Amino acid sequence: MGNAYLIFNIFIVVAALAIIAMLFLANYRLHEPLPQEVVTSRGYTLRRYWFWLVLVVAVVTFAMTIPYFPYHAAGASASAKHFSVVAQQYSFSVPAVVPVGVPVIFDVTSRDVNHGFGIYGPDGAIVGQVQAMPGYTNHLLMTFTVAGHYTIRCLEYCGIAHAAMQAGFDVP
Amino acid sequence: MQSRAGARVMWIYLGTGIAIFALMTLAGILLRAAQAGWIPVDPGTFYSILSLHGVGMIVAMAIAGLGTLWYLVRREIDLDERIAYLAYGFFIAGVVSAIISVVPGRYGSLWTMLYPLPFVGTYWPSWATGAWLIGNALVMLGFMLWCAQILGALLEKYGGVRGMLAIDYVFAKRAFTEAGRKPPPPAMFAAAITAFDGFITGMVGLVIGTALLVHLIDPSVAIDPLWAKNLTYLFGHSIANLAMYMAVAGVYVGLPMCTKRAYHTSPQLAVAWWATLLFVIIAYFHHLYMDFAQMQWMQFVGEIASYLAAIPVVVVTVYGGVMLVHRSGMRWSLGSMFLYGGMIGWVVGGIGAVLDATIPANIDLHNTLWVPAHFHTYLLEGVLLFTLGWAFVNLEQRADAVSSLMLRWLVGLGMFGGGALFVFAFYIAGAAGVPRRYAVEPAPGPLWASVATVGAIVFFIGFAICVFEGVRLASLPKSDVTA
Repeated sequence: MGNAYLIFNIFIVVAALAIIAMLFLANYRLHEPLPQEVVTSRGYTLRRYWFWLVLVVAVVTFAMTIPYFPYHAAGASASAKHFSVVAQQYSFSVPAVVPVGVPVIFDVTSRDVNHGFGIYGPDGAIVGQVQAMPGYTNHLLMTFTVAGHYTIRCLEYCGIAHAAMQAGFDVP
Repeated sequence: MQSRAGARVMWIYLGTGIAIFALMTLAGILLRAAQAGWIPVDPGTFYSILSLHGVGMIVAMAIAGLGTLWYLVRREIDLDERIAYLAYGFFIAGVVSAIISVVPGRYGSLWTMLYPLPFVGTYWPSWATGAWLIGNALVMLGFMLWCAQILGALLEKYGGVRGMLAIDYVFAKRAFTEAGRKPPPPAMFAAAITAFDGFITGMVGLVIGTALLVHLIDPSVAIDPLWAKNLTYLFGHSIANLAMYMAVAGVYVGLPMCTKRAYHTSPQLAVAWWATLLFVIIAYFHHLYMDFAQMQWMQFVGEIASYLAAIPVVVVTVYGGVMLVHRSGMRWSLGSMFLYGGMIGWVVGGIGAVLDATIPANIDLHNTLWVPAHFHTYLLEGVLLFTLGWAFVNLEQRADAVSSLMLRWLVGLGMFGGGALFVFAFYIAGAAGVPRRYAVEPAPGPLWASVATVGAIVFFIGFAICVFEGVRLASLPKSDVTA
């Protein structure tokens, strides 16, 4: 997807807001105590709104993300060209060239243990991934819009040379 | 209901957990320093140490949490401490078996090993795999023994599941209170959910562990890799999450001690724990988002369950903790600082977890360093702080003493500052796509591993100061106020 830094920025902003809010609520007039009943009464009233806010954000976010789920490959693009990918300790069998601008489906499996088929774009960001599992074939639908060399890295621990398990293909 | 014997059980569990934690932190620093290129460590040794580090940390945090919970339940119900010691014996035997597997055996398939990995292309002898699996089984047996004792005691005390989970209290509060009945105190919910989900988790751990042992003995017995992966993550995810929910009990009891306020059970708290009981078990689906062969409904449930699992935390437990502290007149001590700081760490780690549990984001983050980023946040800056907070609140109250401002700053800078630097390096490297579990990382991994190593060393210095301060407080005479 290539949105990792956007996710990172969201994380930093939300986490910073949470930290600031919690530190403020703890330290604000800490040594001017109020009876617990007063704090609780106000807190319970606010909590109703807080609950609905969190619930609505959760449900709406869930609904908004569904169109971006990667589980449509099997029937989503009947005309897509299929490429077989076979992983094994510690190499990938992948096509040398993959076309640009058209949907392609990687049919990914493994000969031995679980591996991860992680595709890194020319800029070094992850653009797609799927697990390679023995006995199963996972279908990863991709459309490459940027030409260049793509690197494959194993994204599931698979043994002593896991970190060296790499391959690549070109998108002309 | 409390006795010295009960407190002894707690301190033995707590002390053991913290000691294992300290050793595993040193192992973790070694791993990050190796990834930074500071220390040469061959990949085989790296993965063996990583295996021990992972299981050791989970066991350390769980033992500390179980000790705290056992003590808190003992305050309400008479418990036989011999069972607690028997469970402890299983834990120690399991840890010894895991150490034998790794140190002479060089086992290196990690603690959430995915079948058929422990048997294919290994660089360690098969007996080491057996020792590892037996070690895991011993820990699970100890855990289930603990769960059975606590579950049995709670069911008996509160009159079955309805009473233990306060079902009548939620649905017929007026009649319930008019009858003079009281719901279980908050910490008992943590105990009940830990025991209930923990028993299931232990059984799942034993099932997959036994299946792997059978395969070890007779390789012709095949296991379905997807089935094995589901069970492995159900077991691994649940036990890691339960470590947090165990430690929360320390907040329910410790923060009221700091604030001189009461943390009561409310219907909302009871319902929150019902939700937790469910979501701890089913949220594990998010570990298999990138397994497209998994049934699709499980992926959908995984995302929504991961989101909903956050609601009991941010709307009830943490919110209630903030209400306890807000304008309470509480004085900051190491104990209160850790308990409150632990809630912040829990929330921050939770934000990282929820983002990773969003399927489109998981495409970018799955099995990158983002994963250890979020769980190190909530284990180091959440579970550990709750555990230390609970210990310090007790030590401070016992001696009627508070650590100096200078010492609190030193510990705070080390454990919060160093800890923040350490986990930040994980997050940013994860966003850059650096894979997790790489003995040798691609750029910019080594750069961020260097930053992480510095952060971890600073954290460990703060932690060491904190431990020495704990020993000093423990050696002070008991205050007349609390005697």
